[in-house]
Amino acid sequence: MSGQVWVYSESEPVANEVATAAAAVAQGASAEVRMVDIGSVRPATRGSGGRLLLKGPAGHEVSPAVAAEALARAAKDLAPLAVLLGATRDGREVASRLAAKLGIGCMAEVAGLASDGQGMTGERNVFAGKVVAKVRCQFPAVATVKVGAYPKAAAQPGESQEKDVGPVSDQTKTVGREKKPAGAVDLRSAKVIVSAGRGVKKKEDLAILAELATAMRGALGCSRPLSADLGWLPEEHHIGLTGVTVKPDLYLAVGISGQLQHVAGMKDSKVVASINTDKDAPIFQASDYGIVGDLYQVIPALERALAARR
Amino acid sequence: MKIAVCVKHAVDEAELKIGPGGSPLLAGAAGKMSTFDKNAVEEGLRLKAAHQGEVVVFMVGGTESKKTLKEALAMGADRGVLVTADTVAIDALRTATMLAAAMKRSGRFDVVICSEGASDTYTGQVPPMVGELLGIPYVGYARKIEIDGKAAKIERSLEDSVESVEAAVPFATSVVSEINDPRYPTLIQIMQASKKPVEELNGEEIAPAGSRRGVEVLSMSSQPTARKHVMIDGSPDEAAAKLLDALSKEGVLK
Ligand SMILES: Cc1cc2nc3c(=O)[nH]c(=O)nc-3n(C[C@H](O)[C@H](O)[C@H](O)COP(=O)(O)OP(=O)(O)OC[C@H]3O[C@@H](n4cnc5c(N)ncnc54)[C@H](O)[C@@H]3O)c2cc1C
Ligand SMILES: Nc1ncnc2c1ncn2[C@@H]1O[C@H](COP(=O)(O)O)[C@@H](O)[C@H]1O
Repeated sequence: MSGQVWVYSESEPVANEVATAAAAVAQGASAEVRMVDIGSVRPATRGSGGRLLLKGPAGHEVSPAVAAEALARAAKDLAPLAVLLGATRDGREVASRLAAKLGIGCMAEVAGLASDGQGMTGERNVFAGKVVAKVRCQFPAVATVKVGAYPKAAAQPGESQEKDVGPVSDQTKTVGREKKPAGAVDLRSAKVIVSAGRGVKKKEDLAILAELATAMRGALGCSRPLSADLGWLPEEHHIGLTGVTVKPDLYLAVGISGQLQHVAGMKDSKVVASINTDKDAPIFQASDYGIVGDLYQVIPALERALAARR
Repeated sequence: MKIAVCVKHAVDEAELKIGPGGSPLLAGAAGKMSTFDKNAVEEGLRLKAAHQGEVVVFMVGGTESKKTLKEALAMGADRGVLVTADTVAIDALRTATMLAAAMKRSGRFDVVICSEGASDTYTGQVPPMVGELLGIPYVGYARKIEIDGKAAKIERSLEDSVESVEAAVPFATSVVSEINDPRYPTLIQIMQASKKPVEELNGEEIAPAGSRRGVEVLSMSSQPTARKHVMIDGSPDEAAAKLLDALSKEGVLK
């Protein structure tokens, strides 16, 4: 039997990460990978194996609803063993709707994917990252793959396939799209991260943390409330369960309480140091070095000390 | 306007104890209202205040989850429906199937509100599945919802952009935490909540599992990262110097 493992993501870079996960599943299941495009071919999705173009949905605006319906129609006919998507916000919606349409299981935000031939297994964070669960789902199955957990697949030649799924209509209408402010740095590749939490009293005060980050040749990150709720920093700068997962050599947590959801995104850092006024703050449990103190005194002191050494 | 809000009694991740072998002690673990579901209830109450009608809370869970159902009623919801099932043992599709089945029995809802993700499992799968199973438009990750008659306009908060989406009532949605600030119930509201009606349905009866197996949890383990836990004291200048010394020694400061 030569089944197929499909890869789809609305984001081309994420699709190439998912392709790497799909290759692991395909290997265990003696299956082939198919990079799926909907509506039109996207040359930047490279993947490993072949391509599958789903024709029918009009235009280039493929909403989660349209993607899920197109994938479901094609899957009913072509019966792939598995459909893997990226665990982006849109990707979660496509995967969930697809699984509901097909009545099959959907693994959420997994890494470490493998297949025993009959189904697939993966690992995911539960209870805010305190626990890792190993999950399994019988084929046919859907899964979303954790963003950033896999390297991007290299381009590989393979067969190209087309499938006409007919026109797909959307019950909703996207009438506007505005870019969120983008960050200038990629925290995933930063060696040093100075990370700001709610201990910072106002937006302007972030400047002293940014200065320290620059002096340490690092980048500025933050906890979720600073980006999502207060909008002080771009959203891709927030670290944790719902943000990015980082592994710098040094993670300096400043005015961050250290809730599990935040720690989930930085616990693999090589060295963690933290500054907090509360000696009982949970961040100290997740740190190698801790200073109980006011960031408004300790940060300037760190800058002075750094300057004196250079 | 009939508004359904899905609220989960989630495992309290901060209180969760880990057994000697590294596996979480889930039996009898403390629970709480899933964090962002407070935002979902708040949004339901906000829509009711603007458009009249009722807010009905739907929950799939064990009998211990009644506590959380009461909390939603104390916040201001009108009544509750508890679908009994073991949430740890079932997957998202099964949960969503039970929620959709319970909603169908209660008549047609104009708006179905979930949160973007439960604080214990954070799959983000239940809301789109509920929308799909009810066969109504679904618009997730809402940071703003405006309804004018039968037309709704929703702002979706995505990773790098905000989308404006139009949908017709009825529709289902999931909310993100920045949509509102959830209210705290007053003591009087907490007392009155016990008088509000709660209907109990059996999950297996309203949505039989059949032969479907879904996603199974094979094992769970907790491996906390070992840390040195060195506390540095002294004045800010002394502490700063000691920290830099330590970091240089670790070789993490270039
Ligand atoms: C499903 C879900 C997902 C989530 N995902 C994430 C995520 O990805 N990332 C994330 O960060 N959070 C996430 N959260 C939120 C998380 O639970 C916490 O609420 C959040 O991390 C707290 O941010 P904080 O530490 O900056 O703020 P707080 O918890 O308010 O802590 C502020 C800290 O600053 C200290 N402080 C105050 N003044 C000073 C001073 N002058 N000097 C030094 N210290 C000071 C205080 O002692 C306190 O410890 C999530 C929550 C849920 C429910
Ligand atoms: N057992 C449940 N009972 C009621 N609502 C639920 C349940 N599980 C999930 N939900 C809803 O779906 C949202 C997302 O949950 P999840 O898909 O598990 O991340 C939650 O915030 C709730 O609004």
